[in-house]
This record gives sequence, C-alpha cells and structure tokens, in this order.
Amino acid sequence: MADTLPFTPIDEIPKIHRELGEVFQTGKTRSIAFRKQQLLQLCYLLQDNTERFQEALFSDLGRPREEAAYLELIGTLLEVKDAHDKVNKWAKTKKSPFHFLWGTLSPQTRKEPKGTVLIISPFNYPIWLTLCPVSSAIAAGNVVLLKPSELSPATAALLTELIPKYLDPDLVRVVNGGVPETTKILELPFDHILYTGNNRVAKIVSAAAAQHLTPVTLELGGKSPCVIDPKCNAKVAAKRIMWGKLLNCGQLCLAPDYILVPESFQDEFVEALVNAYHELHPTDPKTSGMVGKIVNERHMKRLKQLLNDTKGEIVFGGEVDMAAKYIAPTLIRDVTRDDALMSEEIFGPLLPVVPVKDVEEAIAIVNSMDHALNLYIFSDDRAFKDKVLNRTRSGTASMNEVVLHVIANDAPFGGVGGSGHGYTTGKAGFDTFTHFRCTVDHPAWYVDSCCRASVPVTH
Amino acid sequence: MSKLEYTPVEEIPKIHADLYRGFRTGKTKSIEYRKDQLLRLAYLLQDNKKRFEDALFADLGRPHPESVLLELDPLIGDIKEAYGSVKKWSATEKVRFSPKWFPMGPAIRKEPKGVALIIAPFNYPVLLLLGPFASAIAAGCAAVIKPSELTPATSALMGELVSKHLDQDVYRLVNGAIPETTKLLELPWNHILYTGNGRVAKLVSHAAAEHLTPLTLELGGKSAVIIDPKCDLPTAAKRILWGKVANAGQICLAPDYVLVPRQFQDTFVAALQRAFNEFFPVDPLKAPEGTMAHVISDAHVQRLKRLLDATRGTIAIGGQVDAARRFIVPTVVKDVKTDDALMSEEIFGPILPVLPVDSVDEAIEIVNARDHPLALYVFTTDAKFKAKVFDNTQSGAAIANEVVIHLGVDHLPFGGIGPSGSGYTTGKFGFDTFTHLRATIDNPSWVDKLVMSARYPPYDRGAIQKLNKMSKPTLPPRPGSRPSLLKRWPLWLILALVGLVTKVKWRSIVGSAA
Repeated sequence: MADTLPFTPIDEIPKIHRELGEVFQTGKTRSIAFRKQQLLQLCYLLQDNTERFQEALFSDLGRPREEAAYLELIGTLLEVKDAHDKVNKWAKTKKSPFHFLWGTLSPQTRKEPKGTVLIISPFNYPIWLTLCPVSSAIAAGNVVLLKPSELSPATAALLTELIPKYLDPDLVRVVNGGVPETTKILELPFDHILYTGNNRVAKIVSAAAAQHLTPVTLELGGKSPCVIDPKCNAKVAAKRIMWGKLLNCGQLCLAPDYILVPESFQDEFVEALVNAYHELHPTDPKTSGMVGKIVNERHMKRLKQLLNDTKGEIVFGGEVDMAAKYIAPTLIRDVTRDDALMSEEIFGPLLPVVPVKDVEEAIAIVNSMDHALNLYIFSDDRAFKDKVLNRTRSGTASMNEVVLHVIANDAPFGGVGGSGHGYTTGKAGFDTFTHFRCTVDHPAWYVDSCCRASVPVTH
Repeated sequence: MSKLEYTPVEEIPKIHADLYRGFRTGKTKSIEYRKDQLLRLAYLLQDNKKRFEDALFADLGRPHPESVLLELDPLIGDIKEAYGSVKKWSATEKVRFSPKWFPMGPAIRKEPKGVALIIAPFNYPVLLLLGPFASAIAAGCAAVIKPSELTPATSALMGELVSKHLDQDVYRLVNGAIPETTKLLELPWNHILYTGNGRVAKLVSHAAAEHLTPLTLELGGKSAVIIDPKCDLPTAAKRILWGKVANAGQICLAPDYVLVPRQFQDTFVAALQRAFNEFFPVDPLKAPEGTMAHVISDAHVQRLKRLLDATRGTIAIGGQVDAARRFIVPTVVKDVKTDDALMSEEIFGPILPVLPVDSVDEAIEIVNARDHPLALYVFTTDAKFKAKVFDNTQSGAAIANEVVIHLGVDHLPFGGIGPSGSGYTTGKFGFDTFTHLRATIDNPSWVDKLVMSARYPPYDRGAIQKLNKMSKPTLPPRPGSRPSLLKRWPLWLILALVGLVTKVKWRSIVGSAA
C-alpha cells in the first residue's frame, strides 16, 4: 500500500516548518473562538467520514469495521468534542488562592500556547493517536506539524486529504515519509514534541530534542502484565483479557501482554480463557476477519520467531500465514520468566500464561522488568489489589478491566520509566502543550521592605 | 572554611546502586517518613544559618542580610510549606464525576518517580539545590544532589550537614566538577532537574535521552524590561537597579536589559542614578566588604570586563572593575543598540544596558527577535500597555512593576519556555515534577450486563448501534452553517402572533366599517 501514500519532498520540510512558525507569530491561534471552531471542524471531519476511516483501517490493519467504529472512531470523537467543550475552561487564566503576603500582587497563571508542536504517531491506532493529541495541541493554541506513520498508509493518506479540507490549512501541516523524512523533521527546532511509539526511536527523538532543548512527551509501551487472584470473577476476567488481547490483533500499547496466575489456579484460568475465546470467536477469525492482521512482514517475522522459540505449551492457535499477514490467536501456558515470549513487548495475538508460586513471585516478576505502561489486576479482594499496587510501579493501573481506562475522562494517561513520560488525553493533554506563564503586578505602594528590607545594607 | 572534597568518581555508581536499593525498600512512601526528613532539612538550615551566611559570604561576598532575606529564609519557608502540605499533595485524587465512567471509580494515585538527580548552579547554591531537594523528598523520591564546585565553602557545608542529618540510604550529596558530573550523567535516573546554563543543559539532555529520563530544565536568558513613561518612575528605577545589585546581578531572573522610549531615556537614567545614590551613600568601591556581592570567579569577571570594554554604548553610571576583589560597581550603559556586545549573551552581572526605542512595537519586536526569556518585565500603570506587551510576547513569566520576587510567590508555577527551560518548580509544582500520576480504575463485572457487552465480538449490529448511540456525542451546528428553520422558532412565533393580531385588528376595522 506504500505506493498510495506520497511522501513529502525532503526539501519542502524546512519550508513547512518555517511557515508554521510564521502563522503562529500572527497570533491567530490565540483566539479561543478560533480554536473552538477548528476543534468542531475536527469533530465533523471524523463524523462525516466514518465509513472512509473504517475502510482505511480495514485496508491497513484488517480491523473489523464494527470495532473501528465503537472503539477508535467514537473514542477519538469523544476526546475531540471534550476539548471543544472545555477549551474555554482549560485556557482561562488562573487566579492564585489568596495569600496574605502576596495578595496585593495579584498573582495569576496565564495558559499560553508553546508554539510549533511536532506530533509523531504510530501505525496501530493511527486515528486516536493522531487526532487526540492534535486536538490537545489545537486547544492549547499551538500550530502543529503532524507526522503520521507510513506503516498505515491508507489512514495517513486519508488524514492528509481531509485535514486541509476541514481545518484552517495553516494550522496543521501533515508531513508523510519514512526514516529520511522523519530525520529531517527532527533536525528542526520545535516548542514541544510528542512521540508515540517504541523505545528505540524514542531515544533518537529525545537526542534530537536535546539539541534544541525541546521538551518531549513520550508515550511508549512495554509488557503490561495481568496479575490474577483466584478470588476474582474468572469468567469475566478471562473474557475481558481475551477481548483486550485480540483488539487490533494485539497491536495496542494497552493490550494485556502476559498473565501471572498462581500455579494452583492455572488450569482453571486457562480453561476460562479457552471458553472466553470461543465465546468471542465462535468462527475462526481467519474466515470471520474479526481479529485483523499484523501490520507488516517485519512484525510477522518477529512474532513467528517468538512462537518458534517459546518453551511453553500451546493450548490453542499457533498458525502463521505469512502471505495473509495472519497469526492465529494463540494461548500458551506454563511459560517461564526467561521464555522468548517474556523478552519483549509482544504486540501481537499471543497470550502467554506464566504460573507463579504466589503473589510475591508475581510482584517480583513485574518488578524485574521495565515499568509497564499498564498494570492489570483481577481480584475482588481489596487487600490483594492494594498489595500489588503498592509494591509495583506502572504508568497506569486498571483493576478488573483492560484498555478502557484510557478513555475515562480526566485521568491523565502516561508512562513511567521505560514506558515513557508526560501525559496525554483530556486536560492533561492540553497542559502538555501549554506554557504556564505566571504573572504578578506589584503596585508601587506595597511596602518594599517586607520582601527586600532596605537593600543593600551598609555597615 | 572547609576545602571542597570531591566525591571519588568510582564511588558514584555505588552511590547510585545504594540509592536504588534504598528506594526499593519502600521507606520513602510513608508520609511520616517524608515529613521527618523535611523537618530535619529545615532544622539543618535554621540551626546553621550563621554558618551558611558565612559560607555564602566567602563564596560570593554576599551581604549576610541579603542571604537571609533572599535565600535562607525563603528556603526554610518552602520546606515548611512542603512539610505542611505533603499529605494533601500526595493523597490519591478521585476523578471528577462523569456519568459515563463513574462505575469504574477512576482515581489518580500520586507516586514517587524513583531516584532523582538534582544539579544546582553557583548563584543561589542553597536555594537552588535544597529547594528542589525538598520537593523530591516530599514526592517520596530518593535523590542524589550535586551542588556547584564554584561555591566550595557552601557546597562543603551542605555536604557535611546533609550527610549528618538526612537518611543516607536514600539521600546523598555528591561534590565534584566535570568528571564527577559526567559520571553521574552516564547513569539512569528517574528524573533529572538541572538548573544552570543552556550549554550544559544540552549535555544533560543528551545524557537523559540515552535512558529516556524525564527532565526539568531551569535555565536563563536575557530577561527584558520594557518601560512605559506612565509608570511610578522612582519605584521602577529602584526595583530594577536592585535586581542588578542583589547577588551582583547573578540571578537567572535578573532584569538583563531595559527598553525605554527614546525621549524618556535620560529621565530614566537619572532615576537610576538617584536609586544608586540611595543604595550606596558611600562609593561602593570604597565600601566595606559585605556591602554588595561579588562576581563568582575571575573567569566571569574577565567575561564581564570584556563586555564593558566592547560596548559601544555610553557608561552613565559606575563602570569600575576591581578585578582583584572580583567586584564590579553597578553599571548603567545607555544608548545601547541591539547588536551591541552587551546584547550578545545573558549578562549575569551588575551591568544594565539601556536601549532607547521609538515605540512599544519596536520594543516587542526586539524581545521577540530573541530566545524566549525566563522573565519579561513591564513597568507601567496602563493596563492596555501591559496587555499589549504580554499578549504579543512569550516568556517564562510575565511580571508587571516588579522583578525577581515572583519566584517566592506561593502557588505560582516557576518555569521557562524555549531556551529558558521546561518544566516547573516551587511549591506543589515542584512536588508534581517528581511525582508520577498513576491513573487507576476498578471496573465491576455488572457493567457488562448493560450496554458494555456490545464491545465483545461476535459483533451484534444492533447492540453496537445501541452502544454507539449512547456514547456518540451530539455536535453543535457546523461552523458557518445557518441555523435550521427549527432553531428559528421564536422568530416564527413572533411573526405568527403579529399576523394574528393584524388579522384581528383588520377584521375589527373592516367589521366596524361595514
């Protein structure tokens, strides 16, 4: 599909960057009315073109149209509309609470745009991970250089077509390309960079940002563990985990990566997972198309290698069709800590089950890895949940659920350690692209002596 | 004064490992523990105030009362604020009620990021090290703190007292210069806070990029001052000159240069002279030690002397340099142009260039032609003038009729933009810097019995449509579209009523005529 996505000529990129800066200098994006209008247009961009987006996602990822509609498309629309509705409130200058020493200085915090923002988004949720941060950046009053992933070319091409149609063509400029184009972009100075993707490229982005002292937000990934307590609703837990694992064929930074279950409970839980799978997919997904496909050959090879190398026992699945870019949903049990499946973020429809002695061992395994973006706990026992929460660290933590916490309003979404830093979604996204410019106004009559004495002092 | 002993480079990885081990014990999670350490830090300062004053005098020639008023007391105040607020700041926040998500009970836990590295500069060596340190303690982080080697007396004193009074399992002070700092930066941290200059900031950023470490940078730049003739001139002159006299102008927030209307320049400089005479009834060159701070080092004295020698402006006040004592008289240079030597770098010394401009627009253009400053100062009593300047510029802070002290104002985030830095410190903002916001939900099983089950394949068209209908937002009319006929019902109602009244009246007229 790469030939349907024309790349931006490299020598045009500095010009685009310069033009964005000039537009920002005009001050047009400071107007709240302008921002609201653009955000509403962005809502209509999504609403008017639902079917075309569904087609593009199906083309790029084999994503079932129903799944695209209810999860990514409506999810994105909700976020953009939220920004539209709340931008007034978020952007309002904040008066500091009264303080007897400083009250006369009228201390306030202005919310100001940073300037030109760079957003680099990945292939897996190419609409959510593009238009949500774009809406945050617009709400905050910035101009945006957007670099969508070339690995999801149909979606990138559609965004490239629709954005200048619906939005002020000066506000968001889309640059398409691969490594050379992205390298060129990263040579240029930005006022903030948001990168969503993997750790390897994140280091390159961070190093480029360091050259210009540009602040960076990184939304990365990692292995999101599911810690199972036998005292849980095993049927619901298994269904939710299996559902979350198979969304977008497992290609989701929020996907439950692997399961930690007490040895004594493994048989029962594996059975629950098998039943859940058959409930969700009574028809083989290869024929029903309900799981989607892997994005490209490189990832197919990677996943195939993991399957070859695992020493766990395959309960169901295991089929690999390289030509169709299809890997069957696969459940593997009796996986050990040092297994191939535990060596990297899976990002595919393989679900390893790792039996542990007890919750202590589960916690030790979680802590032996980079901090995960999400930690999932399935338990009805408050003490169990608290124990796991208190003894681990992760970007987010979701109990008895997977994935959905990302759309819960007003909860900042961000990683820690290897899973990234900074926050997106909702107000946290707005704040990411905002500079908090504090102000005071010190009347002449306010006695100087309280803060300065009569300085300098002569002896 | 104690000589500054550097931490052996080979010990640094061990210190790093010790602190990670200490952090993993979980001891810093306890609020009581954090409060205990914060109190120790506060007493460490209070009990040794005189020793700190002496050390700052030895390193910077700083007058004792200036150290107390501008550095030590505010710092103790900040630590006290952290001590009093840490419980509130670290409490799990329940997310505001939303009809869609409330069954999931979304909440935000405040968790320490881990082990932090804090690097401080020479100019406010106690405030800019122990201030962020207090924030890190409050957030539950462990920390390595690295003061500047350019302030040996103060750094040695802090090294001695921190190792005596604070838990060495999780807090360590490392002294050193380039090799030691380089070693520190090779290691992975959970957050780095660097206060200093842009050149070193790039090195710190590169090092942080290797480990994907989040960064806060408190840098500097040329903080511009814009004067409106409609201002309280004596107060303006006094406050601005004070900003160059305190710490000999070695403040990241010091007013760097002044933009003044051409016809007002002489009046303004005369006001500065009056302020100068008030501050220094005795010639500062002849005044005793402890009247005004010194420049930190010979290298910086030479740098400032070079700027003064190269300026093509006219020295109106001061200009004398006593290199042996590292003392420069507060100096005002007028008729400076934008390409002058004094405009080529952050001055960070007691020299104030005054640039005459022909309009506030020109002043704004000059500010905007440069890197965003850490602070932009405006002196005016005219709200419109103030708004014009603030609304058409970008800066870390936007301050009217004052300089510098906004750093001490409670509840204000302190941070730069662009080359003046990123991230925020002081108060709760400092706490947040070292805190990870860990969002959580807990989704009961019963929600699946309602509409949430539609998310599961096999996808039921009807169920999905119901779910979509419930979640999909209704959009206001498209921008630029005309309101629908239905929306105009008040208009139609009025027209209908007018029509009805007219008809009735007409009938009565016709009726009576018949």
